[in-house]
Amino acid sequence: MNKLKIFVVEDDKLAQKLMSKHLSEHVVDFADNKLAAIKKLKTNNYDICFFDLMLGIKDDYSGLKLIPLAIDKGIYTVIMSSSDSDEIVDKAYELGANDFYAKGNEESNVDSILKKFISNKNQDSTENIFTNRFITKDKSVKSAIMEALKYASSQLPILILGPSGTGKTSLAKIIHEHSGFEGNFVAINCSAYSEDLLEAELFGYKKGAFTGADKNRKGRLLEADKGTLFLDEIGNMSLNMQMKLLKSIEEKTFYPLGSDKAEHSDFRIISATLENPKQLIAQGKLRFDLFQRVHGFTINLKPLNQKKDDIFPLIQHFVHGGKRLAFMPDAKDYITNHPWPGNIRELKKFTELMAESGEGRINLKTVARHLSAVEKITPPENIMNDSHYKNALANGLEETLNLLAYEIIQKSLKENKGKKTKTLSELKISTRFLYSILRKFEPIGETSND
Amino acid sequence: MTEKKDNLSKLLHDIRAKCSSLKSAADLFKDCSAEEKKEMISLMSNAAKDISRHLNELEKE
Repeated sequence: MNKLKIFVVEDDKLAQKLMSKHLSEHVVDFADNKLAAIKKLKTNNYDICFFDLMLGIKDDYSGLKLIPLAIDKGIYTVIMSSSDSDEIVDKAYELGANDFYAKGNEESNVDSILKKFISNKNQDSTENIFTNRFITKDKSVKSAIMEALKYASSQLPILILGPSGTGKTSLAKIIHEHSGFEGNFVAINCSAYSEDLLEAELFGYKKGAFTGADKNRKGRLLEADKGTLFLDEIGNMSLNMQMKLLKSIEEKTFYPLGSDKAEHSDFRIISATLENPKQLIAQGKLRFDLFQRVHGFTINLKPLNQKKDDIFPLIQHFVHGGKRLAFMPDAKDYITNHPWPGNIRELKKFTELMAESGEGRINLKTVARHLSAVEKITPPENIMNDSHYKNALANGLEETLNLLAYEIIQKSLKENKGKKTKTLSELKISTRFLYSILRKFEPIGETSND
Repeated sequence: MTEKKDNLSKLLHDIRAKCSSLKSAADLFKDCSAEEKKEMISLMSNAAKDISRHLNELEKE
């Protein structure tokens, strides 16, 4: 957190001392009476003011009179008082105070106020997000993001829904940057790991915990301490892993593999999935209790073909070095009407190709050549062929699917020169599944552990 | 009567404020350096004396 200039108006010496302890990381100025406070407010610039209301035993809430002065100077104004009178609280807010807290729990109150201030400060530059970081003109997406940023400094979990390539990771990072958290932003794509590897990645491991663990490794959960853990494709995690993760979220502790010493980590969760979480729950792929833990605030990101106004601003954003890309009108139409199944990620690749094309004004032929090539490969290929169909009719669907799995595993093992760990990771399958398939189709003795 | 009520509420307000500060100071105390502990004890004693004085005034009200 950057050093803030803070002004505390407090007549009580002990309370002053406490505030100076709580604000020790910042530049703090004090005043113990109204006149001194007015003088300092007029001559100095502060980020935040903390005002006690009663400055002396016989004082008549003179701290209230300081509020308009601070507000006029654009200072974030916080009232700290032992008064529990609704009249005083209302009066303070009426005069423009930004926050009011009861004395007695300064440590957490001051901490949350500073976080809120940082978040609000960043919120002022929210419009810059939509022109620099998360380019969009779409009103509903903008308002959903603005809403999410209001919770940035809280521990409320956030769930981001949207098809692949719509900017879920970028958004999670922006929310973290607005949080004021001192810890790191740690992202992990749950679908990129097999169950065993994901467990090692999340919880870390001790040397010798398994074959290949030749040194201790910190897990992502620990790396995210006091920061944000971003779990992408959360629905792809096995139910067993979901249960382990849920336990570590609830207890804020976990055991690295091969260790009997619990590690502590306090992180905020942002998760994302391209699937409908309710369907995942209904299909038994997502635990309801984990879903309850991760969906405090939900944002839906639209696919690019529903935000056509974003296409050209995004193209200009992706062109580096101030270069401008120009398209012929028919080429523009083609780009606008392209379905963009890979969303922003696909648009970024397309822009890079166009920027390197060296053409002055890019014509329809060039655009169509690149986009039609993409169209041919982007939709999932039809992996079923006639022989699979015949096999399914003869031996049943399950047997045919197992055979298909065997063929894919065989191909991957061949490409990875027999390294099963690489195949497990690339195909995102568990060790148990790999061996069950190999044992099914290979004579006993040929299936060995590597 | 109103003035009396006003004085009473101001006294109670100050007692609440000083008690809160004492509680927070006690929470922070163990993390203070030796020098700070001395300063803290002195400030806490003064706050306690103020509370005692206010309680005496309260008795007279």
